[in-house]
Amino acid sequence: MQDEQNLIHLVKQGDKEAFAQLYENHFDKIYRYVVLRIGNKTEAEDMTQQVFLNALRSVSTFKWKGVPFSSWLFRIAHNLVVDYMRKEKRQTIVCLDESMVSSDCGPQLLAEQKLDTEQLIRATQKLTAAQREVISLRFAGGLSVAEAAKVMGKSEGAVKALQHSAVINLRKALSGSVPNENR
Amino acid sequence: MKTDKELNNILNECLERLLVKGETIEQCLANYPEHTAEIEPLLRTAVAIGRASAVEPRPEFRSRARYQFQSALREAKPQRRLPFFGGQPRWAIAVVTVLIVLLGAGGTVAAADDSMPDSFLYPVKLATEEVRLKLTASNLGKAELYAELADRRVAEIVYMVNKGESERVEDIGQRLNSSLVALAGLTSAEAGDRVFTAAEPAAPPSPAPGVLEKSDTGVTDGQGPGDEKTKLRTTLERYLVDHPAALNAALKEAPESVKPVLQKIIAEVTADYEEVLQALD
Repeated sequence: MQDEQNLIHLVKQGDKEAFAQLYENHFDKIYRYVVLRIGNKTEAEDMTQQVFLNALRSVSTFKWKGVPFSSWLFRIAHNLVVDYMRKEKRQTIVCLDESMVSSDCGPQLLAEQKLDTEQLIRATQKLTAAQREVISLRFAGGLSVAEAAKVMGKSEGAVKALQHSAVINLRKALSGSVPNENR
Repeated sequence: MKTDKELNNILNECLERLLVKGETIEQCLANYPEHTAEIEPLLRTAVAIGRASAVEPRPEFRSRARYQFQSALREAKPQRRLPFFGGQPRWAIAVVTVLIVLLGAGGTVAAADDSMPDSFLYPVKLATEEVRLKLTASNLGKAELYAELADRRVAEIVYMVNKGESERVEDIGQRLNSSLVALAGLTSAEAGDRVFTAAEPAAPPSPAPGVLEKSDTGVTDGQGPGDEKTKLRTTLERYLVDHPAALNAALKEAPESVKPVLQKIIAEVTADYEEVLQALD
């Protein structure tokens, strides 16, 4: 895989294959982030697609100034989520079907994980908006604290604090139902 | 006793080791035995969160999305900036420059302001706009002007749709798109450090990314930058509704030959406004 900064450089020069590579690199993470933020499968699919179309349209304005492309992309996703929330004025929770759960799990884990995904989405609704954002960026989006801080416009220390409080609150919300972890 | 900050750091370090490096909870806790009781349950929850977050897109969606994105990628044209004066005839530029700089808003310019694309004064109108952009110092002022130009373009598109001139509609649609792309560029987070390019010598503290500031001396109504930004946002939110609505209304009456072009413009306008408003958040 080419270095992301190099890919951006190629994209800026009109290299469409480079952009396709960036798309592949980030598609799943963006989708997971959106699902966890809005908890609506259909909307998450549309929104994920829109994130990349928006990125395609405005990549010419992107400048690599210490802000990773991933942070920029998640910022687009964040803004779409905020708009969605503003318009919908609701936070829908849907039952997730099996197709949404990683298919590389065994049957036992698949059932457990399906349950967990639903629980997690419900539990995140009990968090503050900032805590939910941190959990979505860190765990679903796979961003580092530094990258999440860039997306949220906060310091790394603030993101760590939010992460800490979010995990505590999620543990409370999930108490009694968190599967035993044997790693 | 550790402070909250230290615990935040310990938790984060352990999360990195668990989720990125693939270490076990026990391996991480071995470094912090005095905090096992406090950190371990959080790490177990965190691992469960990590697993539960691993939602995969449906294969059908993944295929469809990839196809649509690659189609969009193929159709994407390199973003070209319209040259200064937008390729308007030299005579129009000369007339406008003289009228604006020396005489103020002369009758010709004023008349051209209301002209439509099928009018012989239309090049003067476009050249006037380019001059106004050039003479506007602040990025916020430019953003306001681009919004005004977008409003004009929509009115022109509706007018030309009624005339059934698809080529002109397409051309104006491109100008509309250019204005909105420029507007997005001015309001985007990446432009956060450019909005002070025309700032006073004693620049104010660094703004939050994407925050527009009125930095020229044209603000005399006592409004602060925040007021100006709010005003711009209100205008754009109105346009987000009004412009697609006007274009959709025109679409209903449009000749068949114009409909595909107009539909494309409507889709672009809606997406462009949403992008601009997101950047303003």
